[in-house]
Amino acid sequence: MDPFLTSRIVTDVLGGLTNGVTYGLVALSLVLIWRSTGILNFAQGAMPMFATYVGFALLSYHFGYWPCVVACVIAALLIGGLTERLLVRRLYGKPEINPIVVMVGFLIVLEAVAAAIWSSTPRSLPSPFSSIHWQLAGKPFALSPFIVYEFATALVVMAAVAVLFRFTNLGLQLRASALAPEVSRLLGVRVGRLLTLGWMLSTVVGVITTILVSANFFSGLTPTVMDGIFAYGFIAAAIGGLESPVGAIVAGVLLGVVNQFVTDYVNQNAVIIIALAILIVSLMIRPSGVFTKSALRRV
Amino acid sequence: MKFAGTRRRVPIAMGVAVVATVVALVSTTTSREGVALSVAFDLAVACGLILSLPSFKLSHPVVSRAALTLLGLDVAIFITFFLNSSTNFNLATGAAMSIVLLGLSFLTGASGQISLGNGAFMGVGAFAMAIWANHHTTTPIVATLLIAVVCGALVGLLLGLPATRLRGPYLAGMTLAFAVAFTFILSTFSSWTGGDSGLQLPTAAIAPRWLDGFFHAGTPPLTTTTLYLTDVAIIVAGVAFFFMANLFASRTGRSMRLIRDNDVAAELVGVSLPRTRVVAFIVSSAYAALGGALLTLIDNSVSPPTYSFALSVTILSLIVIGGIGTISGALIGGVIYAFSTNVISWITTQTGLNPQGNLASQLNGIIFGGLLILTMLFAPFGITGAARSLWHRLRARSPG
Repeated sequence: MDPFLTSRIVTDVLGGLTNGVTYGLVALSLVLIWRSTGILNFAQGAMPMFATYVGFALLSYHFGYWPCVVACVIAALLIGGLTERLLVRRLYGKPEINPIVVMVGFLIVLEAVAAAIWSSTPRSLPSPFSSIHWQLAGKPFALSPFIVYEFATALVVMAAVAVLFRFTNLGLQLRASALAPEVSRLLGVRVGRLLTLGWMLSTVVGVITTILVSANFFSGLTPTVMDGIFAYGFIAAAIGGLESPVGAIVAGVLLGVVNQFVTDYVNQNAVIIIALAILIVSLMIRPSGVFTKSALRRV
Repeated sequence: MKFAGTRRRVPIAMGVAVVATVVALVSTTTSREGVALSVAFDLAVACGLILSLPSFKLSHPVVSRAALTLLGLDVAIFITFFLNSSTNFNLATGAAMSIVLLGLSFLTGASGQISLGNGAFMGVGAFAMAIWANHHTTTPIVATLLIAVVCGALVGLLLGLPATRLRGPYLAGMTLAFAVAFTFILSTFSSWTGGDSGLQLPTAAIAPRWLDGFFHAGTPPLTTTTLYLTDVAIIVAGVAFFFMANLFASRTGRSMRLIRDNDVAAELVGVSLPRTRVVAFIVSSAYAALGGALLTLIDNSVSPPTYSFALSVTILSLIVIGGIGTISGALIGGVIYAFSTNVISWITTQTGLNPQGNLASQLNGIIFGGLLILTMLFAPFGITGAARSLWHRLRARSPG
């Protein structure tokens, strides 16, 4: 076999892509909420984490992996919808620090409640596919059935979001109510319901990410499982520009690859520092993100 | 008029001062204690007199702020002599924290920006203090504290430069990334920061000899060193509050509030947006560093896990509950921080929770997070704001 496929560079690129798609998905879910409601959801990691715990509670009743995943998605829909209706709805039109503070508070409460109910010891989730890497000519190749499943799921989710927004009537209404809520309301769009739907969708994207992350990583599922990934997801979303879904995904994937190279060639500790440096430099050059068209802020 | 006229206040105050001095001298056993007690009483009376004068506050705002600070310091230090060691230790921690809260209150309240990284800036100050003290053992404490403040301000400048161009959520996210990265930065430079175990101060802070004279060293619950550290922390906090009160009222402070309320209008009247924002950010990080350095001094050591992201979140909760954008909010937040551990363990024992259980260990997060959400939804300016609106309502109701 070709030794190139098992070389250090290819291994790093594939490993980086594996992490990168999860950053991209988190960034995507942040962008979905930011575009529709202008809120940076700091609980975007914690809400799906909670839904994952709820869904995988079915494991104790001898349900398999797939029923649990369905339960997670249902829980995510409920949590996303209830959060928007009960908490976020009161924050529209307030100064921009109010939603930030409330969502940080929600993050703390969710993590503390999850740790109080399910304890903070990691729990391992079952996986439908083996995560043992394939071998090529006796050398490990950086892909496993699980990683392929992860890539496939991520692509399906991204494609589904794209199709929803581009080609369906519902997606058109979602975009319209984000862009011009007043006009949309006059034209008969139920803006309030669509905002709720946006939060539900974003939490579902989040829960799929969480399920992949907590089955993939050695750490398992813990209340703080999404903290680090949220930080990288935010960095990716900020680099790509909070307005641009494509930018968020591309930046997330690239960030994953860069992180993997830093881990391999420098060390583990340097990863977040380099990521922070990239964020600062990119924000200094393009404060509203690389992928967004600069827009004048109207007064 | 309910109160005596301006002319009669001075003789009344002098009379009170004389009586207080006599009582102090008679009631104490040693002359040193008597003198100290009468100085404390007379200072309080003098400050009270200055503050009670009408129109003085308008004609000499700086002097009246200084009098208020002195009065507060006088009373607080007087009280510390009668508390036990652990309460004093809590108060010292609370004083250090209130400085950090004041910085964040200024940043958010005066310029409308928010930082989720003030715990990390605290860490910068704490480690700068410990590292400097370990390399230059002869530097006096005040100089080391100032060096820590300068370090905090420099890191604040570094992160504040991109912050000048960022609006709300971007800045919050960037400071969050800094807070998350901080513990990794510490372990990257482990040869300086002591790795996981952190650093000890080379020499423990020891109270000066003269303090022993005022203090019955025989009373077991309080040691002179604790008392000394508490009073140092309280005095530093007093100085910090005094400076901040003047900054709030100064031209810089006013232009910052203008930026918060309407940044376009601010630019039109000639306020430089980037410069003012970066100054606010530097002041806030310098204050955080001062608080962190004080905490190192009080604990006599510093360890990396203290300065995790959780601390930044705690800081945010405290200032929001106390009243963001206000000076008294920082003081309230500091007091809450000082006694939060005691209150939470009291709740645990009262409700009969298993102290080692999952719920008891998460109670802190649940209570603080819940209060954070409730405060922001129902009283966005915290306890201070709620008290102010209550006061105005009462004033409006009462006739005259």
